[in-house]
Amino acid sequence: MINVSHLTKKYGRFKANDNLSFTVSDGEIAVLAGPNGAGKSTAIKCIAGLLRFSGEIEICGHNNKSADAKRILGYIPEIPAPFELLTVWEHMEFIARAYRLENWEERAEKLINRMELDDKRNKFGKELSKGMQQKISICCALLIQPKAVLFDEPFVGLDPHAIKELKAMLSEMRGNGTSVIISTHMLESVEEFWDKVFIMMNGRIEAERDRKIVEQSGENLEELFFSITEKGK
Amino acid sequence: MGAIFYIVRKTVKNAVIDAFRHPLMLVMYGIFFLSIISAVLMGYANSTATYSVEKDTRALYGGYLALLHFISIPIMLKGLSSGTSFFSMSDVNNIFVAPMSEKKILIYGVGRQLASMLFLAICFSAYGGMAMNIFRLTAEDAVWLILGIIVMFILVQMMTLMIFCLSSGHQKRAKVMKYIIYAIPVYPLAVVGIYMFTNGMTVENLLYAVSQPMLEYSPIGWIHGVIFGIIDGNYANIAVYGILLFVSLIACILVFVYTKLDYYEDVLGQAESNYAFRESLRTGNMGESFGMSSQKLKDSNIGIKKGSGANAIFYKHLKEGERRSRFIFLNISTAVLLGVALVTGLVIDQIMDGIYRTTVIYLGTTIICSYLQFFFSAAGDWVKELSKPYIFLIPDSPVKKLIMASATSIIKPFTDGTIAYLVLALIVGGQIPDIVTSILVYGSFGCVYIAANVLAQRIVGMNGNRGVFITFYMSLIFLLMIPGIMLGLMSLSNAGELSIIAATMMGLPVFIWNMIISFLIFLMCRNLLNNAE
Repeated sequence: MINVSHLTKKYGRFKANDNLSFTVSDGEIAVLAGPNGAGKSTAIKCIAGLLRFSGEIEICGHNNKSADAKRILGYIPEIPAPFELLTVWEHMEFIARAYRLENWEERAEKLINRMELDDKRNKFGKELSKGMQQKISICCALLIQPKAVLFDEPFVGLDPHAIKELKAMLSEMRGNGTSVIISTHMLESVEEFWDKVFIMMNGRIEAERDRKIVEQSGENLEELFFSITEKGK
Repeated sequence: MGAIFYIVRKTVKNAVIDAFRHPLMLVMYGIFFLSIISAVLMGYANSTATYSVEKDTRALYGGYLALLHFISIPIMLKGLSSGTSFFSMSDVNNIFVAPMSEKKILIYGVGRQLASMLFLAICFSAYGGMAMNIFRLTAEDAVWLILGIIVMFILVQMMTLMIFCLSSGHQKRAKVMKYIIYAIPVYPLAVVGIYMFTNGMTVENLLYAVSQPMLEYSPIGWIHGVIFGIIDGNYANIAVYGILLFVSLIACILVFVYTKLDYYEDVLGQAESNYAFRESLRTGNMGESFGMSSQKLKDSNIGIKKGSGANAIFYKHLKEGERRSRFIFLNISTAVLLGVALVTGLVIDQIMDGIYRTTVIYLGTTIICSYLQFFFSAAGDWVKELSKPYIFLIPDSPVKKLIMASATSIIKPFTDGTIAYLVLALIVGGQIPDIVTSILVYGSFGCVYIAANVLAQRIVGMNGNRGVFITFYMSLIFLLMIPGIMLGLMSLSNAGELSIIAATMMGLPVFIWNMIISFLIFLMCRNLLNNAE
């Protein structure tokens, strides 16, 4: 479970996130949607423990900056940042060592195969295209078998096969009880599997909806998004 | 050209406006310029004293020529590698696609580069005051020396432009040019080396060797010839080398005008890489691939193989280091340190005599080498690590992560020091405590530089302005090492007479202080890895 309570992130006087509170339960896929500059990536980085903020964030009951939280949290950044002088396989090894994972090889093998990186396993991070670098980020984050995962624009740069695999992985994670937050403004990419959506504007959550409620009202995600973000235009 | 002038005008204007929006940055720049002005004024004030001894400017001849080569050769080599440091990513995206002459755009790129280099010349003016004191120059002489550096920047930029025009898109030509550039510093080194080997390794011979007129026969030497021609009133030198410089500048311009240029493709890839590099400099997050070429891996070389938790970062760094260089901790800084230690040691060896000879050698070399280390201690592995999210995400103690991420940067100066001082010991001899202490002191200064960097990252922030960061970082280094040096001096003076292991007596307190203060800073800054901002 990811529990965010009164999260505020300021840059000088500017509030990138203004008193955000929400919960993503086990086995739930939540979408952070919003136009550019809404504060989605900032919120994701705060949850990942990368930024200073006021408020409280808990990952499965642990403070998000604690080692216990880090051990079960996966993070896929918006801009992939592989180690330029490590091979694809060595990225897996590094994560396994850093997180003290055991019996990880088979899992790493599967992830690499699913992301079609098997023929690139001995390529350096710097030799890979942006899409492939993104695939490494996904493999690294999922290798630790996280109980909570944060995706920041995960579909950008991925090829159709990788998008299909990632969607399958997301469904599997939901089945395993993993809490997932996906920050995106490509709504059609998450249309088929989202459970909950938080629509952000100007650093605030303007609307929070469950899938059932939206479907019952006959709306879809895109219509809901525009009805909120273009309100008053 | 109107659009280019517009960009230049707006860039300058907005830079000024931006400076006023960041008062801290403005204050730091103010301190920086004030310190330069005060250094120049103090140099001038001190130099007005009259001297009874004849001035000997031979060391200045050699040092100035070395400085000109030291600055110009890397610039020319960089220009050769595709002339690409001239352009930024925004130039590529906005100016390259605009309907403008490629030559005008190239002039713009070179001009901008030149402007940034002239800023460096201002920094050198601080050393002008020092040169006035040491070499008993007049203020006018110092101004000529600084002007010489500015002329050198202009000539080198023009030569870089010519090299780029001639080699762009021609790999073979580029290779030939590279060898020609390498030959420029090899020539004076060979002249000095041959003289020293044939006439003996004495200080007098060294001073004579570095001040030989034949050292001015290469293009970089021409600038030297004109400047020292002015200082010494040698009109023949001014005329000959002045004409050579003028003709070479005209030749560069003609090559530029008559070469058909098609360089966008060459520039694009490098501009992207430069963009990433500048971004990383701006944010303090250095990538590790800059200047790296791809390499093939053997199966046996794949895998980190050791480490768990925070240790994994250290072993990853070892693996990355192994891939950068066959000898992980040995690189150009090792060679430079060895060279400086040997030259300093041999010079002192010639000057000093008696029982204190070796201890003064180790004292002198340690002071000079530790000062020089600052210039090699730029971005270590740990700084590069901050550009990735993993170090923040790894579930381990922040202190342990910080120490493990810095471990390779800490080991490096100790390795360099061990090599340099052991070679020096083989040549000049010395007491074992002095040799060991010199290694420890040199290594401990590496720790202080890293600790100051960590502290500066903690206080100024990783995404702050780099100018502010560097000024703050340098001030911190100064503050952190002063108490250790004071303790060392106290230990030396308490002993009464100069000891035959004076280097040890002064060095040990410095080493102990440096290590304690560095560790304390690591401990205080453990929360650095709590946030990536």
